[in-house]
Amino acid sequence: MTVHAADAAPQDAASGTSKWSRAWQNHAPGYLFLLPWFIGFFGLTIGPIISSFYLSFTDFDLLTSPEWIGLANYERMFTNDRAFATSMRVTFTFVLFSVPLKLAFALAIAILLNRGMKGLPLYRAVFYLPSLLGASVAIAILWRQLFAGDGLVNQFLSIFGIVGPSWISNPNYSLWTLIVLSVWQFGSPMIIFLAGLRQIPQDMYEAASLDGASKWRQFWKITLPLLTPVVFFNAIIQTIEAFKSFTPAFIISNGTGSPINSTLFYTLYLYNEAFSYFRMGYASALAWFLLLLIACFTAFSFLTSKYWVHYDD
Amino acid sequence: MTIRLGRRQFLMGSSALAAAAAAGISPAFAQSALRLIFWGGQARADRTYAVTDLYEAAGNPGLEAEFLSWNDYWPKLATQTAGGTAPDIIQMDYRYIVEYATRNAIAPLDDVIGDLGEFDADQLEGGKVNGQLYGISLGANSVATLANKKAIEEIGETVPDNSWTYADLERLGEAFKSAGNGMVAFSDGSGTEPMLDNWLRQRGLALYTADNKLGFTADDAVEWFQMWNGFREKGYIVDAETQALDTGTPESSMVATKKAAMMPSNSNQLVIHQSINDDELTITSYPRIAPGVGGGHYRKPSMFFSVGGSSADPAAAAAFINFFVTNPEAGAILGVERGIPCNSAVREAITPTLDEQSQIALNFVANLGDLVGALPPSPPAAAGEIDLNLLRVISQEVAFGARSAEDGGKAFVEEATAILARANA
Amino acid sequence: MTIDAPKLTVVTGAENDPRARLRKRIFSVLAHALLIGASILMLYPLLWLLAASFKPENEIFTSGIWPSLSWDIDSYFRGWNAMRVSFTVFFMNSFVIAFLCVVGNLIACSMAAYAFARLQFKGRNFWFAMMLMTLMLPYQVTLIPQYVLFRDLGWVNTILPLVVPKFMAVDAFFVFLMVQFFRGIPRELDEAAMMDGAGPWRIYWKIMLPLSIPVLVTAAIFTFIWTWDDFFGPLIYLNRMQDYTVMLGLRTFVDSTGESDFGGLFAMSVLSIVPIFVFFLLFQRLLIEGIATTGMKR
Repeated sequence: MTVHAADAAPQDAASGTSKWSRAWQNHAPGYLFLLPWFIGFFGLTIGPIISSFYLSFTDFDLLTSPEWIGLANYERMFTNDRAFATSMRVTFTFVLFSVPLKLAFALAIAILLNRGMKGLPLYRAVFYLPSLLGASVAIAILWRQLFAGDGLVNQFLSIFGIVGPSWISNPNYSLWTLIVLSVWQFGSPMIIFLAGLRQIPQDMYEAASLDGASKWRQFWKITLPLLTPVVFFNAIIQTIEAFKSFTPAFIISNGTGSPINSTLFYTLYLYNEAFSYFRMGYASALAWFLLLLIACFTAFSFLTSKYWVHYDD
Repeated sequence: MTIRLGRRQFLMGSSALAAAAAAGISPAFAQSALRLIFWGGQARADRTYAVTDLYEAAGNPGLEAEFLSWNDYWPKLATQTAGGTAPDIIQMDYRYIVEYATRNAIAPLDDVIGDLGEFDADQLEGGKVNGQLYGISLGANSVATLANKKAIEEIGETVPDNSWTYADLERLGEAFKSAGNGMVAFSDGSGTEPMLDNWLRQRGLALYTADNKLGFTADDAVEWFQMWNGFREKGYIVDAETQALDTGTPESSMVATKKAAMMPSNSNQLVIHQSINDDELTITSYPRIAPGVGGGHYRKPSMFFSVGGSSADPAAAAAFINFFVTNPEAGAILGVERGIPCNSAVREAITPTLDEQSQIALNFVANLGDLVGALPPSPPAAAGEIDLNLLRVISQEVAFGARSAEDGGKAFVEEATAILARANA
Repeated sequence: MTIDAPKLTVVTGAENDPRARLRKRIFSVLAHALLIGASILMLYPLLWLLAASFKPENEIFTSGIWPSLSWDIDSYFRGWNAMRVSFTVFFMNSFVIAFLCVVGNLIACSMAAYAFARLQFKGRNFWFAMMLMTLMLPYQVTLIPQYVLFRDLGWVNTILPLVVPKFMAVDAFFVFLMVQFFRGIPRELDEAAMMDGAGPWRIYWKIMLPLSIPVLVTAAIFTFIWTWDDFFGPLIYLNRMQDYTVMLGLRTFVDSTGESDFGGLFAMSVLSIVPIFVFFLLFQRLLIEGIATTGMKR
């Protein structure tokens, strides 16, 4: 790869070793440290990615050879597919609500747990537990028991005289039960926030205390700025993951997106197109459109990040 | 092998590593044993493994069997088929057999399957696609109404016999309503494809015609939705919110959760439902549209064994399938778990050994009488999509009041026609 | 919000002020009450699962939302040996795969992250963007080309497709995570080391890694848990039952079209959480100790 090109450079003595060897010294370590990643990227990752891009321009039914159909898949998406629009709306709603809520919970609990109180490891473990459960069949059964018409949530509400709907099977509310599920599993960003908080040097707080800065001020002036790289990371990752969210919707509705199409997440729709209806070409086009959306969002985030993310370099 | 060419075209050059390795390393599946893949639960797996053991013990080549749950089964099979590594023996569903057969992902069996003995003609017919035999039925099956016997008797009624009608459904609906114990008579069947099919067949129509078109009109569909709207408004069936709790798994069904006393199901599912229910269950027919009108039911192949299109030894794979469905010892092990055996010698041999629920199922399928009509043609491509994506969605929209029955019926026919035209062009 | 500020100020200054101590105690009690309340919400599902695993089959779905106590330990024995291959084998397989993935991710991702965070080289931003892109494409559409690739490599039916990619830092999540943390380490530290003649390798090994214990521990925890919970990779690439992982074993318990052993499912679900929970408990301790012992000096 590129490393080899630089490798040959030192023999080029005529132009003076200094220029080439400096270039080698400057660039080579970067490529060497990236070598495993390069091998993986070119050997394992990029091939399938290019293939899927190619497939998005074909009619591919999984069982026979793909057939080139140009932009027809993309055309169908925007002109002749109601479910596509539905799944877009469902996914955007999910991203818009689940990501901020999840991050807010994760950050709040992480800060609370970082205060060095008694029983800290226990709490941390307890708050992480739901994330350990993942999205299993057991969760699907449990969620129905909680959010059905006669479920625990409504039993609780009836104490206050409120008669709730069957949250999980009413098309107006079913998406919200999935948002709750996503927020409930806030363990991973919480752990990352905790690790970030732990990395903030204690002596900075000590110095600030000596200067008479209040805890509140310390939070705004030390904790938050130093935590911004981690906040940035969590925001980007959680948004990408939310856009790609598949398993909870699949498990809870048994792959259908029921009731009506109220939980038809984008990737659930894509999955059904690919594996239930044998339209892998169309599914690939859907995937690449999603990639474009996420990439735009991510690029925008990186562009604005220089105004609010503080690195030490 | 046609697959190989296309796949190569788009992968070649994209990965130097793969190309280099492909030259040197032998295929991963160079083993001699036949590979078998099926979906099912542990009960089915135990029986199937016992038969593969029996087969090996009789001096035949060994089998490597793998089983998965329904949801995991299809993506894995599709991936393996696309990769040219599909197993030799594949359990196949009625819904997918056309898709796989027309694309040569499974092989025709006419020349290799050998003598199946006295095998039910309608079951053989059910495994044919375009006149060629692609799947051997592993058991016959019929749609049936699953009924909570205890709950029905508790309100002073009896489980209806095979002569019952939709009018009886209303009568039972009224009885449950006045009992007021929180259970209604029936689940909402408006989105259940086999129930719509059954209802249409009783009217002399069909869900699909042999030339891959819809076998009914918008008026029929409107009437169908109107009928269920009537039941729902009168409180004979569960409301829309409750019905939507049913995600198609046995444990979320209306009978399992005790929301309804009866629901549309299949004869071979009685055993499963009984295992997760503490009330005594039984089965009866789907309701008739009027007394004495039959022809809605038919004996449907519950599932098939097919031979993979890329199998190195189709004859050996077919020999195992033959053994699986004709050997009485194997039949005794398998019971009616996959449906009623189609080979008459096997069926007779196992009848006395069955447990109570299996007996009920077997008797039900054997004594359908005038309920049985002609076997419908195999469903067209995209039938699955119309069921899952269209009937399910529109019936829920009607149930929740987001659409009127008129609107829903028209939209269903219109969109189903479009999907069929696109898929069978 | 602004009301809180003076309240908190007092705490730092006057240790001996009894009113401040009282306030601190009240705050602590409130915080605990809040956390305990939240904990119950968090724990309820696990308790439900635990209770369900001790119930006889036909009571699981009808006995309502409160876990009623009955001690039918039978599900555990039945579940453990339900399949042709016992769960002992599944657990061993899961351990081997998860362990290898942790090692692979820690080595390869930290190397890549170090390059992206600290080293200057041509096309750095481009490659970083490429790496992020791999995060954005839904795996469902690369599945088949990837399967074909691994089949051509002769890796199908082995654990190689699950493990080897981790040694090549294909998990962009962890590379990105580590980049963010490495960038938080003060640059004066490497500069000082460079003055002393240390090369990139030495800086990576002697400065970056020791100062990044929290993020390395985090990466180890996540890798272990996610690998343990993953079923799609094993589903596609493993065909022989004796190679199955715990999650794959669990999924074959429940078939939506057939008779399913729910008691066994719940019992094995409970057991499947035990190793990852223990792993979490052990390593989260490291997460704290790591900081205490390295304590950054500036």
